[in-house]
Amino acid sequence: MPKSQFVDPNELLKPGYITFKDIPVNQYAKTIEEEQAIYSNEELMNIYRDMVMIREYETMINLIKTTGEYLGVAYNHPGPAHLSMGQEASAVGQAYALEIDDFTFGSHRSHGEVLARGLVAIHRLPEEKLEEIMKSYDGGRIYSVIEKEFKDIKSVREFAAYFFVYGAMAEMFARRNGFQKGLGGSMHAFFPPFGIMPNNAIVGGSGDIAVGAALYKKVNKKSGIVVANIGDGALGCGPVWEALCFASMDQYTQLWEGEFKGGLPFLLNVFNNQYGMGGQTRGETMGYDFPARIGAGVNPEQMHAERIDGYNPLAVIDATKRKKALLLEKKGPVLLDVVTYRYAGHSPSDSSSYREKSEIEAWQEVDPLITYRAKLVLAGIAKDSEFDTIIEETQEFLKKVLIKSIDDTVSPRMDLVSNPDEIGDLMFSNQKIAKMEDREVDVLLPKEESPRSIQIARKERFGIKDGKPVSKQRAYNFRDGVFEAIIDKFYEDPTLITYGEDVRDWGGAFAVYRGLTEVIPYHRLFNAPISEGAIVGSAVGYGLCGGRVIAEIMYCDFIGRAGDELFNQLAKWQAMSAGTLKMPVVIRVSVGSKYGAQHSQDWTSLCAHIPGLKVCFPVTPYDAKGMMASALEGTDPVIFFESQRLYDQSELFHTEGVPAEHYEIPLGEPDVKRVGKDITILTIGSTLYRAIEAADTLKEKYGIEAEIIDARSIVPFNYDKVLESVKKTGRIVLASDACERGSSLKDMAQTITELAFDYLDAPPVVVGARNWITPAHEIEDFFFPQPEWIIDAIDQKIMPIKGHNSTTNFTANEQLRRNREGV
Amino acid sequence: MATPVIMPRQGQSVESCILAKWHKKVGDKVAVGDVLFSYETDKAGFEEEAKVDGTLLGIFFEEGDDVPCLLNVCVIGAEGESFKEFAPEGDAPAAASEAPAAAETAEVTVAETVVAAPAEPNNAAISPRARNTADKLGVDYRFATPTGPDGRIIERDIFSAREAGIGLITPAAKAAGLEGTPGAGIGGRMTTSGAPVEAPVAASAATAAPVVAPATEYVEEKIPNIRKIIAKAMHTSLSTMAQLTYNSSFDATAIMAYRKSIKESMERLGLENITLNDIVLYAVSRTLMMPAHRDLNANFINGDTMRYFTNVNLGVAVDTPRGLMVPTIFNANLKSLNEISGEVKELANLCKSGSINPDLLRDGSFTVSNLGNLGIESFTPVINPPQTAILGVDTIAPKVRQSKSGEIEVYQSMGLSLTCDHRVIDGSPAARFLQDLSKNLENFDVLLAK
Repeated sequence: MPKSQFVDPNELLKPGYITFKDIPVNQYAKTIEEEQAIYSNEELMNIYRDMVMIREYETMINLIKTTGEYLGVAYNHPGPAHLSMGQEASAVGQAYALEIDDFTFGSHRSHGEVLARGLVAIHRLPEEKLEEIMKSYDGGRIYSVIEKEFKDIKSVREFAAYFFVYGAMAEMFARRNGFQKGLGGSMHAFFPPFGIMPNNAIVGGSGDIAVGAALYKKVNKKSGIVVANIGDGALGCGPVWEALCFASMDQYTQLWEGEFKGGLPFLLNVFNNQYGMGGQTRGETMGYDFPARIGAGVNPEQMHAERIDGYNPLAVIDATKRKKALLLEKKGPVLLDVVTYRYAGHSPSDSSSYREKSEIEAWQEVDPLITYRAKLVLAGIAKDSEFDTIIEETQEFLKKVLIKSIDDTVSPRMDLVSNPDEIGDLMFSNQKIAKMEDREVDVLLPKEESPRSIQIARKERFGIKDGKPVSKQRAYNFRDGVFEAIIDKFYEDPTLITYGEDVRDWGGAFAVYRGLTEVIPYHRLFNAPISEGAIVGSAVGYGLCGGRVIAEIMYCDFIGRAGDELFNQLAKWQAMSAGTLKMPVVIRVSVGSKYGAQHSQDWTSLCAHIPGLKVCFPVTPYDAKGMMASALEGTDPVIFFESQRLYDQSELFHTEGVPAEHYEIPLGEPDVKRVGKDITILTIGSTLYRAIEAADTLKEKYGIEAEIIDARSIVPFNYDKVLESVKKTGRIVLASDACERGSSLKDMAQTITELAFDYLDAPPVVVGARNWITPAHEIEDFFFPQPEWIIDAIDQKIMPIKGHNSTTNFTANEQLRRNREGV
Repeated sequence: MATPVIMPRQGQSVESCILAKWHKKVGDKVAVGDVLFSYETDKAGFEEEAKVDGTLLGIFFEEGDDVPCLLNVCVIGAEGESFKEFAPEGDAPAAASEAPAAAETAEVTVAETVVAAPAEPNNAAISPRARNTADKLGVDYRFATPTGPDGRIIERDIFSAREAGIGLITPAAKAAGLEGTPGAGIGGRMTTSGAPVEAPVAASAATAAPVVAPATEYVEEKIPNIRKIIAKAMHTSLSTMAQLTYNSSFDATAIMAYRKSIKESMERLGLENITLNDIVLYAVSRTLMMPAHRDLNANFINGDTMRYFTNVNLGVAVDTPRGLMVPTIFNANLKSLNEISGEVKELANLCKSGSINPDLLRDGSFTVSNLGNLGIESFTPVINPPQTAILGVDTIAPKVRQSKSGEIEVYQSMGLSLTCDHRVIDGSPAARFLQDLSKNLENFDVLLAK
């Protein structure tokens, strides 16, 4: 809601029409002679050669899956195989229009795209560059295998072809020599040095990730464009729509300034093979008639959408080149509807029950491997027999690579016997990198001149002065802590950007960013559309390209909207890339209260359950600043939970006050907030403050001294202090605002039981929120754990407290009843 | 048909044995030859092996119990077979035999209480922490008043019990078998499968066990029974006698030469590896038989009677991993040097392996303790009551003396430390014994010839 944009009723209420431009459909009409003026005969032949490579590669996999052998080489591949026979011209055509600084993100059906881009890079790159890339890729581990195992290689390019196809095939067969050490597999093979970025097994998954990559290129002034290759089936996915919204925001052209003004270099490339699995998009599951039509609904430029003939590689090159030019002129985003067809089923288990054989045959009659070949023969570029030789050579080549790829000696799998932690070690990169790039930061004013910094400078950094609480207005609070860590990083790491809903002029719904607008330019701090999926998905793309980003989810309850992006993308790509990608992404998530069932939920446990995410929930200003600083220094994805109960909270524990300078509190270390000897109370989140109240009562009324530990982090979590405490006290209550069933507290309670069993005087008791909807604020106290609940739990389940009258029911029967009824 | 296993009688003098450790637990399969339990007398340890195959159906005693010999200790049979009929009937052996112990410590603050143990196996729920605390403090938790949720005993109940002096563990209470038993679970944790099945006897809860404060900087361990016996014997010895030690030495040249000659020819002659100690024992056995020294080959009984031995029953102190043991060479004066040498080795090995017959550990008339091989130059051996004297054998060291011709010469000297009970042996007789013994050793060839 920038003030510069006047929302004018006179304008908005005027009558008129929305008009559309025509969207071209298969308008390519160049003759081969015209193309010969652009491409050498060798290039034209290479286009054929590359298509044959893809066709043969996919045929090989298909034969292995269906007959157990290829050209007499037997193999069993139990893994996935989503094949693209029929789509070769689309993949190769696109690859010929791109350079290695152009990024492509693909789908589960991306073998063809990977091979096409790799082969084009091998045709084109200078030999020295090829050598350099191969030798430096992951310490040269694939290079050395090729050098040792493949003899009689005559040229660097031939070597590179073996390198590339072997790396891809070994990856597909889950071999350690694969591009991702076999951790990506068939659906996820990629090779960043050639611009081939992660391919995604979640339909449409690349849509928003690629937008983030485009954002990365734009904000960090990197050359090249970003292509999201998705299928027509993916157009039904919400995140793809969100990606289009995110990619086409008006602010790029209307509010971003200087060289940053202009559209994102983002091409949504639809490999329109007519089916989403078996669902026929045109005529059955979608209503667009042409995917290209979608462009008209996105922005006035209609995304420069166009349908092209994906069965003609030259038509695809032609279109992709034109679109790339538009993108480099900052006129993006662009939508291409590339008509193509797959002969094989979705996967080997697909019997194609949804289509007639005659339909497949009709497409095979216009197979690009036949039609394009005929065109070249007709133009006298090569004799027909030369094409047969190409096929034979390709088969020979693939057979050689196959033999090496499936040889357990040459291409072993990850050895989890001798190195049981090899995958574990890849879950987090655990690095500390102060700035992802070393250059000037783009800011509008010196940090000290930010109005917020000036305001904070006047605050009391410890919440108690002369024995009295400092007034709310004068006390440095939780949001100041988060703010300080973030503004520090803005002035240090030039790649850092942050976005979310209402973060700029509003300063974030909870005013954490208030005062940033004045000092941070638009391209580093901006409002996103209400698209949590794309907010997180684009952050994933931005992060894996090498940029640092903080994305914000305004309410924890909206995590569901970004479920795939958080749980399948953000969490997974470091390990799926075998450590070649980093993910310096912090997702700020605000946990609500007061606003009922869909705005007051603590979903930390959902995040903690997913391997690959660091999850923390600081609740004091001191911890907030130190842990945000730590999260921003790291290279791992951190879900940074904040409580809306606490943004005004002053620092009550760190008596020296919150330091003005940079400091870090490592993630994973719980903190003893109060020392006691009789019982331990471990809390996650803002429940800490209610535990303190409970502890005060326990001490004053019953002489019981509680030790209070604030978990601060959930993943990772160092149990040392907790176990030490439990061994001392022998008793523990765990409390948080998360619904009790399946919460992280249960996990912790179980771990504590195992590791301190002999020291326990009673089983650890979990006090969570009820397994209900969160009711209205006025009756919230019946839902969220209250101080007296903690005392009741101690009284009823740990050690009956003389004189205490419980108001809640923690008895075994009640526990059984609740479980029986699922509430 | 189930087979009961009795507590064997190890020697005629043994009336009961302490059950030291269960090697099997109830429900375990046992095969012939498997060690069921180990047990010890005052003086030696033994292992009882299974004589039949089957399942250990039930046990009637717990570790630490003092079990009268020949009583049924456990039962082996087929799974599910009844075994209770083998339980020692109405037998409260521990309570009976240990009762005086309570009286001895009666001055400790708490009044003697007798609490009946539950007749049924005790299923009182207790927290792991409370159980551990009970162990540490020596509190039998069954007597604690549960104040935890659902009647569970929690740690504070153990503290309360201790403060009230309730359930403090005596050996008798131990017989009920519920406290402090190392469990069968992982890390010694008591699990259901390791819990005692039967708690057959009543427990006398008095105040015998000293209260031990929980400690963090040291480890407290109960001493083994043999150590307790030694402690008691040593203390009794020094507190009831008038002991006095006399040191002298003799020229060891002759015995060293003799030993050397034996060593060179022992295989050829089929002799034992005769040691200097064997030689001393031999000489002692002969010297004691001289009428002048009968007071040293005697027991002093009840402060008014001397029991003079006809022969020499020579006790030999043996250092074992379990502590000091003193087997007896009966009629040593009638045995040849070679016989003495062989018997000493055999007895020492039996002691070290813990399998010596207790009857071989008694009835000594005189004792020899050799610390010479550990380099001790002189010491004050403690008499093994009711004996009247003990000889300590010291190390060999070079000494100088002036020869008859006035020259200074070096010779090998061995020290002797004789402790006598001055109540019955005065200094001169003691000195004379040493003199005679030295003479015999310095002229060992002559002694042998006698």
